[in-house]
Amino acid sequence: MGMTITEKIMASQSGRDKVRPGELVWVDVESVMTMDYLGKTCFDKFRSLGKTDVFDKNKVICVSDHLVPPPNQKFATMLNEWREVVKAHDITYFYDLGRQGIAHQIMVEQGHVLPGKVSIGTDSHANTYGAVGAVGNAVGVTDAAVAMATGKAWFRVPSSVKFHITGEWQPYIMAKDLSLHIMGMMHWNGHLIYKTLEFCGPAIDALSVAGRMTLCNMTVDLGAKNGIVAPDVKTQEYLKDIAKGDWDMLASDDDAEYEAVYEIDVSQLGPTVALPDKLDDTLPVEKVTGRKFNKAFVGTCTNGRLEDLAIMADILQDRQIHRDVNMIVVPASQGVYLEALRAGYLETLILAGAAIDTPSCAACAGIHTGVAGDGDIVLSAGNRNMKGRMGSKNAEIYLTSPAVVAASAIYGEITDPRTL
Amino acid sequence: MIKGTCWVADDYVMAYNIIVQEYWTSPIDKLENSKWVMAGVHEDFNKENGFKDCGYTFIVAGHNFAGGGKSIEHVIAGLMGAGIQAVFATSFARLQFRNAINYGLPFITSPDIDKKCKTGDTLEYDPESGIIKNLSQDLSFESIPTPPFVSEVAQAGGLMNYVKEKIAKGEAIG
Repeated sequence: MGMTITEKIMASQSGRDKVRPGELVWVDVESVMTMDYLGKTCFDKFRSLGKTDVFDKNKVICVSDHLVPPPNQKFATMLNEWREVVKAHDITYFYDLGRQGIAHQIMVEQGHVLPGKVSIGTDSHANTYGAVGAVGNAVGVTDAAVAMATGKAWFRVPSSVKFHITGEWQPYIMAKDLSLHIMGMMHWNGHLIYKTLEFCGPAIDALSVAGRMTLCNMTVDLGAKNGIVAPDVKTQEYLKDIAKGDWDMLASDDDAEYEAVYEIDVSQLGPTVALPDKLDDTLPVEKVTGRKFNKAFVGTCTNGRLEDLAIMADILQDRQIHRDVNMIVVPASQGVYLEALRAGYLETLILAGAAIDTPSCAACAGIHTGVAGDGDIVLSAGNRNMKGRMGSKNAEIYLTSPAVVAASAIYGEITDPRTL
Repeated sequence: MIKGTCWVADDYVMAYNIIVQEYWTSPIDKLENSKWVMAGVHEDFNKENGFKDCGYTFIVAGHNFAGGGKSIEHVIAGLMGAGIQAVFATSFARLQFRNAINYGLPFITSPDIDKKCKTGDTLEYDPESGIIKNLSQDLSFESIPTPPFVSEVAQAGGLMNYVKEKIAKGEAIG
Protein backbone atom coordinates (compact mmCIF):
# COMPACT_ATOMS: atom_id res chain seq x y z
CA MET A 1 0.00 0.00 0.00
CA GLY A 2 1.38 3.42 -0.96
CA MET A 3 1.29 6.66 0.96
CA THR A 4 -0.47 9.98 0.50
CA ILE A 5 1.61 13.14 0.21
CA THR A 6 0.84 14.06 3.82
CA GLU A 7 1.91 10.61 5.03
CA LYS A 8 5.12 10.91 2.99
CA ILE A 9 5.91 14.29 4.51
CA MET A 10 5.23 13.04 8.04
CA ALA A 11 7.42 9.98 7.35
CA SER A 12 10.36 11.85 5.83
CA GLN A 13 10.28 14.59 8.48
CA SER A 14 10.22 12.06 11.31
CA GLY A 15 13.04 9.99 9.83
CA ARG A 16 10.89 7.00 8.93
CA ASP A 17 10.35 5.08 5.72
CA LYS A 18 6.64 4.75 6.29
CA VAL A 19 3.87 6.00 8.55
CA ARG A 20 0.24 4.95 8.84
CA PRO A 21 -2.75 7.07 9.88
CA GLY A 22 -3.16 7.08 13.65
CA GLU A 23 0.56 6.77 14.41
CA LEU A 24 2.09 9.40 16.63
CA VAL A 25 5.30 10.99 15.34
CA TRP A 26 7.58 13.86 16.23
CA VAL A 27 8.46 15.72 13.02
CA ASP A 28 11.11 18.29 12.19
CA VAL A 29 9.57 21.65 11.44
CA GLU A 30 10.77 23.82 8.55
CA SER A 31 9.42 26.96 10.21
CA VAL A 32 7.50 28.10 13.27
CA MET A 33 5.39 31.23 12.94
CA THR A 34 4.10 33.35 15.75
CA MET A 35 2.60 36.80 15.75
CA ASP A 36 2.08 39.94 17.77
CA TYR A 37 -0.63 39.11 20.26
CA LEU A 38 0.57 35.62 21.18
CA GLY A 39 4.26 35.91 20.37
CA LYS A 40 5.51 37.22 23.70
CA THR A 41 3.81 34.34 25.51
CA CYS A 42 5.47 31.94 23.05
CA PHE A 43 8.92 33.28 23.81
CA ASP A 44 8.24 33.34 27.57
CA LYS A 45 7.12 29.71 27.44
CA PHE A 46 10.10 28.80 25.27
CA ARG A 47 12.53 30.20 27.85
CA SER A 48 10.72 28.42 30.66
CA LEU A 49 11.78 25.16 28.98
CA GLY A 50 15.34 25.95 30.04
CA LYS A 51 16.56 27.26 26.69
CA THR A 52 17.90 30.67 25.74
CA ASP A 53 18.55 30.26 21.99
CA VAL A 54 15.85 29.14 19.55
CA PHE A 55 16.63 25.99 17.55
CA ASP A 56 17.30 28.04 14.41
CA LYS A 57 16.88 31.81 14.33
CA ASN A 58 16.17 31.65 10.57
CA LYS A 59 13.24 29.32 11.13
CA VAL A 60 11.31 31.13 13.84
CA ILE A 61 9.27 33.64 11.89
CA CYS A 62 7.74 36.63 13.66
CA VAL A 63 4.96 38.72 12.16
CA SER A 64 2.95 41.71 13.35
CA ASP A 65 -0.53 41.34 11.90
CA HIS A 66 -3.41 41.32 14.37
CA LEU A 67 -2.60 44.54 16.23
CA VAL A 68 -0.91 46.80 13.65
CA PRO A 69 -1.01 49.72 13.42
CA PRO A 70 -2.11 49.88 17.06
CA PRO A 71 -5.59 51.40 17.39
CA ASN A 72 -5.31 51.91 21.16
CA GLN A 73 -2.76 52.11 23.97
CA LYS A 74 -3.24 48.52 25.06
CA PHE A 75 -2.24 47.20 21.63
CA ALA A 76 0.59 49.73 21.32
CA THR A 77 2.06 48.52 24.60
CA MET A 78 1.63 44.87 23.61
CA LEU A 79 3.45 45.59 20.34
CA ASN A 80 6.31 47.26 22.21
CA GLU A 81 6.74 44.20 24.44
CA TRP A 82 6.56 41.97 21.38
CA ARG A 83 9.27 43.93 19.53
CA GLU A 84 11.50 43.78 22.55
CA VAL A 85 11.23 40.03 22.91
CA VAL A 86 11.82 39.41 19.18
CA LYS A 87 14.94 41.60 19.26
CA ALA A 88 16.20 39.93 22.42
CA HIS A 89 16.15 36.55 20.64
CA ASP A 90 17.91 37.89 17.55
CA ILE A 91 15.25 36.54 15.19
CA THR A 92 16.30 36.93 11.53
CA TYR A 93 12.88 37.29 9.94
CA PHE A 94 10.71 39.83 11.74
CA TYR A 95 7.93 41.27 9.58
CA ASP A 96 6.95 44.28 11.65
CA LEU A 97 4.81 47.30 10.71
CA GLY A 98 6.20 48.65 7.44
CA ARG A 99 7.18 45.19 6.20
CA GLN A 100 4.14 43.43 7.59
CA GLY A 101 1.36 41.32 6.24
CA ILE A 102 -1.03 38.72 7.49
CA ALA A 103 1.23 36.00 8.87
CA HIS A 104 0.01 33.24 6.55
CA GLN A 105 0.50 35.41 3.48
CA ILE A 106 4.00 36.35 4.67
CA MET A 107 4.93 32.73 5.37
CA VAL A 108 4.11 31.70 1.80
CA GLU A 109 5.13 34.81 -0.18
CA GLN A 110 8.47 35.07 1.65
CA GLY A 111 9.31 31.42 1.04
CA HIS A 112 9.28 30.17 4.63
CA VAL A 113 6.94 27.32 3.72
CA LEU A 114 8.28 24.65 1.38
CA PRO A 115 7.00 21.58 -0.43
CA GLY A 116 7.58 18.34 1.43
CA LYS A 117 8.18 20.10 4.77
CA VAL A 118 6.13 20.85 7.89
CA SER A 119 5.43 24.37 9.11
CA ILE A 120 3.37 25.38 12.12
CA GLY A 121 1.90 28.66 13.27
CA THR A 122 0.03 29.96 16.30
CA ASP A 123 -3.01 30.99 14.30
CA SER A 124 -5.74 28.72 13.08
CA HIS A 125 -5.40 29.53 9.38
CA ALA A 126 -1.86 28.08 9.18
CA ASN A 127 -3.54 25.40 7.04
CA THR A 128 -2.92 27.88 4.18
CA TYR A 129 0.63 26.50 3.80
CA GLY A 130 -0.67 23.36 2.11
CA ALA A 131 -1.03 25.46 -1.06
CA VAL A 132 2.65 24.89 -1.87
CA GLY A 133 2.69 21.21 -0.94
CA ALA A 134 3.70 21.63 2.70
CA VAL A 135 1.95 20.28 5.76
CA GLY A 136 0.72 23.49 7.40
CA ASN A 137 -0.77 23.23 10.80
CA ALA A 138 -2.21 25.52 13.42
CA VAL A 139 -1.03 25.04 16.98
CA GLY A 140 -1.22 26.75 20.34
CA VAL A 141 1.63 28.64 21.95
CA THR A 142 2.77 25.53 23.86
CA ASP A 143 3.51 23.61 20.65
CA ALA A 144 5.18 26.68 19.17
CA ALA A 145 7.35 27.12 22.27
CA VAL A 146 8.36 23.45 22.16
CA ALA A 147 9.19 23.73 18.45
CA MET A 148 11.23 26.90 19.05
CA ALA A 149 13.27 24.96 21.58
CA THR A 150 13.58 21.63 19.80
CA GLY A 151 12.72 22.15 16.12
CA LYS A 152 10.07 19.48 16.52
CA ALA A 153 6.32 19.06 16.90
CA TRP A 154 4.22 15.98 17.66
CA PHE A 155 1.52 14.83 15.28
CA ARG A 156 -0.92 12.03 15.00
CA VAL A 157 -0.72 11.03 11.32
CA PRO A 158 -4.13 11.94 9.87
CA SER A 159 -6.11 9.83 7.45
CA SER A 160 -6.67 11.49 4.09
CA VAL A 161 -9.78 12.48 2.16
CA LYS A 162 -9.39 13.26 -1.53
CA PHE A 163 -11.23 16.01 -3.37
CA HIS A 164 -10.80 15.39 -7.08
CA ILE A 165 -11.78 18.59 -8.84
CA THR A 166 -12.48 18.58 -12.56
CA GLY A 167 -13.99 20.89 -15.18
CA GLU A 168 -13.29 24.42 -16.38
CA TRP A 169 -13.41 27.46 -14.15
CA GLN A 170 -16.13 29.77 -15.44
CA PRO A 171 -15.84 33.60 -15.51
CA TYR A 172 -15.99 35.22 -12.04
CA ILE A 173 -15.88 31.84 -10.27
CA MET A 174 -13.11 31.68 -7.72
CA ALA A 175 -11.41 29.24 -5.36
CA LYS A 176 -13.53 30.80 -2.60
CA ASP A 177 -16.70 29.57 -4.28
CA LEU A 178 -15.28 26.05 -4.26
CA SER A 179 -14.32 26.42 -0.58
CA LEU A 180 -17.80 27.55 0.38
CA HIS A 181 -19.38 24.89 -1.81
CA ILE A 182 -17.37 22.19 -0.01
CA MET A 183 -18.32 23.77 3.32
CA GLY A 184 -22.00 23.46 2.44
CA MET A 185 -21.53 19.94 1.14
CA MET A 186 -19.50 18.54 4.06
CA HIS A 187 -20.60 20.72 6.99
CA TRP A 188 -18.17 22.09 9.46
CA ASN A 189 -19.12 19.80 12.33
CA GLY A 190 -18.94 16.69 10.29
CA HIS A 191 -16.63 13.89 9.48
CA LEU A 192 -13.65 15.93 8.28
CA ILE A 193 -12.39 16.54 11.82
CA TYR A 194 -8.69 15.54 12.16
CA LYS A 195 -8.44 14.61 8.44
CA THR A 196 -6.10 15.71 5.69
CA LEU A 197 -7.97 17.16 2.74
CA GLU A 198 -6.02 16.58 -0.45
CA PHE A 199 -7.08 18.62 -3.47
CA CYS A 200 -6.17 17.37 -6.93
CA GLY A 201 -7.41 17.15 -10.50
CA PRO A 202 -7.36 19.36 -13.58
CA ALA A 203 -9.24 22.25 -11.95
CA ILE A 204 -6.67 22.34 -9.13
CA ASP A 205 -3.82 22.24 -11.66
CA ALA A 206 -5.47 25.26 -13.27
CA LEU A 207 -5.61 27.22 -10.01
CA SER A 208 -2.95 29.81 -9.19
CA VAL A 209 -0.94 29.47 -5.98
CA ALA A 210 -3.14 32.27 -4.59
CA GLY A 211 -6.29 30.26 -5.33
CA ARG A 212 -4.76 27.17 -3.76
CA MET A 213 -4.02 29.26 -0.66
CA THR A 214 -7.69 30.24 -0.38
CA LEU A 215 -8.74 26.62 -0.69
CA CYS A 216 -6.25 25.26 1.86
CA ASN A 217 -6.86 28.22 4.19
CA MET A 218 -10.47 27.31 4.86
CA THR A 219 -9.83 23.62 5.51
CA VAL A 220 -9.40 24.56 9.16
CA ASP A 221 -12.97 25.80 9.11
CA LEU A 222 -14.05 22.38 7.88
CA GLY A 223 -12.44 20.95 11.01
CA ALA A 224 -9.61 19.34 9.05
CA LYS A 225 -6.08 18.97 10.28
CA ASN A 226 -4.57 20.26 7.04
CA GLY A 227 -5.32 20.86 3.39
CA ILE A 228 -2.75 20.17 0.71
CA VAL A 229 -2.13 20.52 -3.01
CA ALA A 230 0.81 18.52 -4.39
CA PRO A 231 3.54 20.81 -5.74
CA ASP A 232 3.77 21.26 -9.51
CA VAL A 233 5.45 23.51 -12.07
CA LYS A 234 3.45 26.51 -10.80
CA THR A 235 4.68 25.88 -7.28
CA GLN A 236 8.28 25.67 -8.47
CA GLU A 237 7.90 28.84 -10.50
CA TYR A 238 6.36 30.63 -7.51
CA LEU A 239 9.09 29.53 -5.12
CA LYS A 240 12.23 29.67 -7.24
CA ASP A 241 13.31 33.18 -6.23
CA ILE A 242 11.90 33.30 -2.73
CA ALA A 243 12.42 29.88 -1.11
CA LYS A 244 14.44 30.05 2.10
CA GLY A 245 15.54 26.43 1.81
CA ASP A 246 15.43 23.21 -0.21
CA TRP A 247 12.26 21.38 -0.96
CA ASP A 248 10.96 17.97 -1.99
CA MET A 249 8.53 17.51 -4.86
CA LEU A 250 6.42 14.79 -3.30
CA ALA A 251 3.16 13.36 -4.62
CA SER A 252 0.69 10.77 -3.40
CA ASP A 253 1.21 7.22 -4.63
CA ASP A 254 -1.37 5.83 -7.04
CA ASP A 255 -2.22 3.14 -4.51
CA ALA A 256 -2.37 5.49 -1.50
CA GLU A 257 -5.31 4.91 0.78
CA TYR A 258 -8.09 7.49 1.18
CA GLU A 259 -10.90 7.37 3.67
CA ALA A 260 -13.19 8.93 1.07
CA VAL A 261 -12.96 10.45 -2.39
CA TYR A 262 -15.24 13.25 -3.57
CA GLU A 263 -15.60 14.46 -7.14
CA ILE A 264 -16.59 18.02 -7.93
CA ASP A 265 -16.97 19.55 -11.40
CA VAL A 266 -16.25 23.29 -11.24
CA SER A 267 -17.90 23.86 -14.62
CA GLN A 268 -21.17 23.54 -12.69
CA LEU A 269 -20.08 25.81 -9.86
CA GLY A 270 -21.59 29.27 -9.50
CA PRO A 271 -20.81 32.14 -7.12
CA THR A 272 -21.54 30.91 -3.61
CA VAL A 273 -22.59 32.70 -0.43
CA ALA A 274 -22.57 31.59 3.23
CA LEU A 275 -25.50 33.02 5.17
CA PRO A 276 -24.93 34.84 8.48
CA ASP A 277 -23.87 32.86 11.59
CA LYS A 278 -23.17 29.48 10.01
CA LEU A 279 -20.31 28.85 7.65
CA ASP A 280 -21.88 25.73 6.22
CA ASP A 281 -25.21 27.36 5.48
CA THR A 282 -24.28 28.10 1.87
CA LEU A 283 -26.37 28.89 -1.18
CA PRO A 284 -25.77 29.71 -4.84
CA VAL A 285 -25.75 33.50 -5.23
CA GLU A 286 -28.99 33.54 -7.24
CA LYS A 287 -30.91 32.39 -4.14
CA VAL A 288 -29.86 35.48 -2.18
CA THR A 289 -29.65 38.21 -4.80
CA GLY A 290 -31.30 41.43 -3.76
CA ARG A 291 -30.47 41.16 -0.06
CA LYS A 292 -29.25 44.53 1.14
CA PHE A 293 -26.06 45.20 3.10
CA ASN A 294 -24.21 48.29 4.25
CA LYS A 295 -20.62 47.16 4.73
CA ALA A 296 -18.29 45.40 2.33
CA PHE A 297 -14.98 43.89 3.37
CA VAL A 298 -12.28 42.27 1.26
CA GLY A 299 -8.96 41.28 2.79
CA THR A 300 -7.79 38.53 5.22
CA CYS A 301 -5.58 35.49 4.78
CA THR A 302 -8.41 34.00 2.72
CA ASN A 303 -8.94 36.64 0.06
CA GLY A 304 -6.58 39.60 0.32
CA ARG A 305 -4.24 38.63 -2.51
CA LEU A 306 -3.40 40.27 -5.85
CA GLU A 307 -5.80 38.20 -7.96
CA ASP A 308 -8.61 39.05 -5.52
CA LEU A 309 -7.94 42.77 -5.91
CA ALA A 310 -7.53 42.32 -9.69
CA ILE A 311 -10.99 40.83 -10.16
CA MET A 312 -12.49 43.56 -7.99
CA ALA A 313 -10.77 46.25 -10.06
CA ASP A 314 -12.02 44.57 -13.22
CA ILE A 315 -15.59 44.67 -11.93
CA LEU A 316 -15.42 48.17 -10.43
CA GLN A 317 -13.59 49.80 -13.37
CA ASP A 318 -15.56 52.95 -14.28
CA ARG A 319 -18.29 52.04 -11.82
CA GLN A 320 -19.29 53.45 -8.45
CA ILE A 321 -19.85 51.73 -5.14
CA HIS A 322 -23.38 52.42 -3.88
CA ARG A 323 -23.60 55.38 -1.50
CA ASP A 324 -25.13 53.23 1.25
CA VAL A 325 -22.15 50.85 1.24
CA ASN A 326 -18.87 51.39 3.07
CA MET A 327 -16.21 49.23 1.47
CA ILE A 328 -12.89 48.47 3.12
CA VAL A 329 -10.19 46.68 1.13
CA VAL A 330 -7.12 45.39 2.95
CA PRO A 331 -4.25 43.90 0.93
CA ALA A 332 -2.88 40.80 2.66
CA SER A 333 0.67 42.14 2.85
CA GLN A 334 2.83 45.13 2.00
CA GLY A 335 4.02 43.10 -1.01
CA VAL A 336 0.47 42.63 -2.27
CA TYR A 337 -0.27 46.31 -1.53
CA LEU A 338 2.67 47.46 -3.64
CA GLU A 339 1.86 45.14 -6.54
CA ALA A 340 -1.78 46.21 -6.51
CA LEU A 341 -0.69 49.84 -6.44
CA ARG A 342 1.66 49.37 -9.39
CA ALA A 343 -0.95 47.45 -11.35
CA GLY A 344 -3.43 50.31 -10.88
CA TYR A 345 -5.97 48.16 -9.04
CA LEU A 346 -5.96 50.34 -5.95
CA GLU A 347 -6.49 53.45 -8.03
CA THR A 348 -9.52 51.85 -9.66
CA LEU A 349 -10.91 50.78 -6.29
CA ILE A 350 -10.37 54.22 -4.76
CA LEU A 351 -12.03 55.91 -7.72
CA ALA A 352 -14.99 53.57 -7.24
CA GLY A 353 -15.30 54.68 -3.63
CA ALA A 354 -13.45 52.01 -1.63
CA ALA A 355 -11.26 52.72 1.40
CA ILE A 356 -7.88 50.98 1.33
CA ASP A 357 -6.51 50.01 4.73
CA THR A 358 -2.99 49.09 5.88
CA PRO A 359 -2.23 45.36 5.57
CA SER A 360 -3.32 43.54 8.74
CA CYS A 361 -5.97 41.06 9.85
CA ALA A 362 -8.17 44.18 10.08
CA ALA A 363 -11.78 43.54 11.09
CA CYS A 364 -11.70 39.81 10.38
CA ALA A 365 -11.19 38.87 14.02
CA GLY A 366 -13.30 41.76 15.27
CA ILE A 367 -10.47 43.30 17.26
CA HIS A 368 -9.02 45.79 14.79
CA THR A 369 -9.98 48.34 12.15
CA GLY A 370 -13.35 48.31 10.47
CA VAL A 371 -15.25 46.30 13.08
CA ALA A 372 -18.99 45.78 12.74
CA GLY A 373 -21.47 47.62 14.96
CA ASP A 374 -25.08 46.93 15.92
CA GLY A 375 -27.33 46.49 12.92
CA ASP A 376 -24.52 46.22 10.38
CA ILE A 377 -24.96 43.77 7.55
CA VAL A 378 -21.54 42.90 6.20
CA LEU A 379 -20.76 41.27 2.88
CA SER A 380 -17.28 39.86 3.46
CA ALA A 381 -14.70 37.89 1.53
CA GLY A 382 -13.24 36.66 4.85
CA ASN A 383 -13.44 33.24 6.43
CA ARG A 384 -15.76 33.29 9.43
CA ASN A 385 -19.24 34.62 9.99
CA MET A 386 -20.35 33.50 13.41
CA LYS A 387 -22.16 36.00 15.63
CA GLY A 388 -19.79 38.63 16.92
CA ARG A 389 -16.89 37.54 14.74
CA MET A 390 -16.32 41.01 13.30
CA GLY A 391 -17.44 42.94 16.36
CA SER A 392 -21.08 43.35 17.40
CA LYS A 393 -23.18 40.27 18.08
CA ASN A 394 -25.99 42.28 16.53
CA ALA A 395 -24.34 42.38 13.13
CA GLU A 396 -24.83 39.89 10.31
CA ILE A 397 -22.00 38.61 8.13
CA TYR A 398 -22.42 37.05 4.70
CA LEU A 399 -19.31 35.37 3.28
CA THR A 400 -18.55 35.17 -0.40
CA SER A 401 -15.88 35.75 -3.05
CA PRO A 402 -14.21 39.10 -3.84
CA ALA A 403 -16.02 39.07 -7.21
CA VAL A 404 -19.44 38.87 -5.56
CA VAL A 405 -18.49 41.57 -3.02
CA ALA A 406 -17.37 43.91 -5.79
CA ALA A 407 -20.43 43.35 -8.00
CA SER A 408 -22.81 43.63 -5.05
CA ALA A 409 -21.22 46.84 -3.76
CA ILE A 410 -22.33 48.63 -6.92
CA TYR A 411 -25.98 48.06 -6.06
CA GLY A 412 -25.90 47.78 -2.28
CA GLU A 413 -27.54 44.39 -2.57
CA ILE A 414 -26.20 40.92 -3.25
CA THR A 415 -25.59 40.65 -6.97
CA ASP A 416 -24.39 37.89 -9.27
CA PRO A 417 -21.24 39.22 -10.99
CA ARG A 418 -22.16 37.24 -14.13
CA THR A 419 -25.21 39.45 -14.64
CA LEU A 420 -23.43 42.82 -14.71
CA MET B 1 -10.86 8.19 39.90
CA ILE B 2 -12.42 11.62 39.41
CA LYS B 3 -15.89 12.37 40.77
CA GLY B 4 -18.09 15.43 40.53
CA THR B 5 -21.05 17.08 38.86
CA CYS B 6 -21.36 17.82 35.17
CA TRP B 7 -22.65 20.58 32.95
CA VAL B 8 -24.31 19.28 29.78
CA ALA B 9 -24.21 21.38 26.64
CA ASP B 10 -27.51 21.82 24.84
CA ASP B 11 -25.89 23.03 21.61
CA TYR B 12 -22.51 23.27 19.87
CA VAL B 13 -19.95 24.76 22.22
CA MET B 14 -17.59 26.96 20.26
CA ALA B 15 -14.10 28.00 21.36
CA TYR B 16 -14.85 31.67 20.74
CA ASN B 17 -17.80 31.43 23.10
CA ILE B 18 -15.78 29.64 25.79
CA ILE B 19 -13.39 32.61 25.71
CA VAL B 20 -15.06 35.65 24.16
CA GLN B 21 -13.19 38.05 21.86
CA GLU B 22 -12.54 40.59 24.57
CA TYR B 23 -10.16 38.19 26.33
CA TRP B 24 -8.28 36.75 23.33
CA THR B 25 -5.47 39.22 23.87
CA SER B 26 -5.27 38.56 27.65
CA PRO B 27 -2.39 36.61 29.16
CA ILE B 28 -2.87 32.83 29.36
CA ASP B 29 -3.51 32.21 33.03
CA LYS B 30 -5.75 29.60 34.63
CA LEU B 31 -7.08 31.88 37.35
CA GLU B 32 -7.58 34.94 35.12
CA ASN B 33 -9.04 33.00 32.17
CA SER B 34 -11.41 31.11 34.48
CA LYS B 35 -13.17 34.30 35.59
CA TRP B 36 -14.97 34.76 32.28
CA VAL B 37 -14.70 31.26 30.84
CA MET B 38 -17.89 30.09 29.05
CA ALA B 39 -19.23 33.68 29.12
CA GLY B 40 -20.43 33.41 25.54
CA VAL B 41 -21.89 29.93 25.84
CA HIS B 42 -24.81 30.71 28.11
CA GLU B 43 -26.29 33.89 29.54
CA ASP B 44 -26.02 32.44 33.09
CA PHE B 45 -22.25 32.25 32.73
CA ASN B 46 -21.90 35.79 31.43
CA LYS B 47 -20.76 37.30 34.74
CA GLU B 48 -17.53 37.18 36.68
CA ASN B 49 -16.89 33.60 37.84
CA GLY B 50 -20.32 32.75 36.43
CA PHE B 51 -19.29 29.29 35.26
CA LYS B 52 -16.64 28.67 37.90
CA ASP B 53 -19.03 29.30 40.80
CA CYS B 54 -21.28 26.46 39.58
CA GLY B 55 -18.52 24.10 40.71
CA TYR B 56 -18.76 21.61 37.87
CA THR B 57 -16.03 18.98 37.52
CA PHE B 58 -17.03 17.74 34.06
CA ILE B 59 -18.46 19.06 30.81
CA VAL B 60 -20.54 16.76 28.64
CA ALA B 61 -21.03 17.83 25.02
CA GLY B 62 -21.97 16.67 21.53
CA HIS B 63 -20.02 17.10 18.31
CA ASN B 64 -17.07 19.35 17.66
CA PHE B 65 -16.57 20.61 21.22
CA ALA B 66 -14.58 23.88 21.21
CA GLY B 67 -14.86 24.16 17.44
CA GLY B 68 -15.16 27.09 15.07
CA GLY B 69 -11.42 27.76 14.89
CA LYS B 70 -9.22 29.54 17.45
CA SER B 71 -6.01 27.90 18.57
CA ILE B 72 -5.80 30.05 21.73
CA GLU B 73 -4.91 28.16 24.89
CA HIS B 74 -6.97 30.50 27.06
CA VAL B 75 -9.83 28.08 26.34
CA ILE B 76 -8.15 25.15 28.11
CA ALA B 77 -6.53 27.28 30.81
CA GLY B 78 -9.91 28.85 31.59
CA LEU B 79 -11.72 25.51 31.85
CA MET B 80 -9.00 24.06 34.09
CA GLY B 81 -9.00 27.18 36.23
CA ALA B 82 -12.75 26.80 36.67
CA GLY B 83 -12.26 23.30 38.09
CA ILE B 84 -13.02 21.20 35.01
CA GLN B 85 -11.11 17.92 35.22
CA ALA B 86 -12.38 16.20 32.07
CA VAL B 87 -14.60 16.90 29.07
CA PHE B 88 -16.65 14.10 27.51
CA ALA B 89 -17.96 14.66 24.00
CA THR B 90 -18.99 12.89 20.83
CA SER B 91 -16.11 14.66 19.04
CA PHE B 92 -13.67 17.49 19.62
CA ALA B 93 -12.38 20.26 17.39
CA ARG B 94 -8.77 19.47 16.66
CA LEU B 95 -7.12 22.75 17.69
CA GLN B 96 -8.42 22.56 21.24
CA PHE B 97 -8.14 18.76 21.34
CA ARG B 98 -4.43 19.28 20.81
CA ASN B 99 -4.21 22.06 23.39
CA ALA B 100 -6.06 19.89 25.92
CA ILE B 101 -3.53 17.08 25.43
CA ASN B 102 -0.70 19.58 25.84
CA TYR B 103 -2.20 20.82 29.12
CA GLY B 104 -3.04 17.35 30.41
CA LEU B 105 -6.79 18.01 30.52
CA PRO B 106 -8.59 14.82 29.46
CA PHE B 107 -10.77 15.41 26.37
CA ILE B 108 -12.51 12.06 26.21
CA THR B 109 -14.45 10.86 23.20
CA SER B 110 -17.58 8.93 24.12
CA PRO B 111 -20.39 8.43 21.60
CA ASP B 112 -23.90 9.49 22.67
CA ILE B 113 -22.96 10.42 26.24
CA ASP B 114 -24.46 13.88 25.78
CA LYS B 115 -27.93 12.53 25.13
CA LYS B 116 -28.05 10.57 28.38
CA CYS B 117 -26.72 12.99 30.98
CA LYS B 118 -28.39 16.00 32.61
CA THR B 119 -26.72 19.07 34.03
CA GLY B 120 -26.04 18.49 37.72
CA ASP B 121 -25.71 14.70 37.45
CA THR B 122 -22.84 13.22 39.43
CA LEU B 123 -20.32 11.41 37.26
CA GLU B 124 -17.31 9.30 38.06
CA TYR B 125 -14.47 8.86 35.57
CA ASP B 126 -11.80 6.20 35.79
CA PRO B 127 -8.85 7.28 33.59
CA GLU B 128 -7.38 3.76 33.76
CA SER B 129 -10.35 1.93 32.29
CA GLY B 130 -11.91 4.85 30.44
CA ILE B 131 -15.27 4.06 32.04
CA ILE B 132 -17.54 7.00 32.80
CA LYS B 133 -20.31 6.28 35.32
CA ASN B 134 -23.35 8.47 35.77
CA LEU B 135 -24.08 7.82 39.45
CA SER B 136 -27.26 9.92 39.43
CA GLN B 137 -28.85 7.81 36.72
CA ASP B 138 -27.00 4.53 37.22
CA LEU B 139 -25.59 4.56 33.70
CA SER B 140 -22.18 3.63 32.40
CA PHE B 141 -20.35 4.75 29.24
CA GLU B 142 -17.24 3.54 27.51
CA SER B 143 -14.74 5.92 25.98
CA ILE B 144 -12.05 5.72 23.33
CA PRO B 145 -8.78 4.73 25.05
CA THR B 146 -6.11 7.37 25.47
CA PRO B 147 -2.83 6.69 23.56
CA PRO B 148 0.28 6.17 25.76
CA PHE B 149 1.87 9.47 24.68
CA VAL B 150 -1.19 11.39 25.84
CA SER B 151 -1.08 9.67 29.23
CA GLU B 152 2.66 10.35 29.56
CA VAL B 153 2.12 14.04 28.84
CA ALA B 154 -0.74 14.18 31.34
CA GLN B 155 1.34 12.42 33.99
CA ALA B 156 4.15 14.93 33.45
CA GLY B 157 1.63 17.72 34.06
CA GLY B 158 1.49 18.84 30.43
CA LEU B 159 3.74 19.08 27.37
CA MET B 160 5.81 21.94 28.80
CA ASN B 161 6.88 19.83 31.77
CA TYR B 162 7.29 16.75 29.59
CA VAL B 163 9.70 18.58 27.25
CA LYS B 164 11.40 20.51 30.05
CA GLU B 165 12.30 17.25 31.79
CA LYS B 166 13.67 15.80 28.54
CA ILE B 167 15.75 18.90 27.88
CA ALA B 168 17.07 18.95 31.46
CA LYS B 169 18.11 15.30 31.18
CA GLY B 170 19.56 15.82 27.70
CA GLU B 171 17.19 13.22 26.26
CA ALA B 172 16.12 13.27 22.62
CA ILE B 173 12.52 14.06 21.76
CA GLY B 174 10.59 11.72 19.51
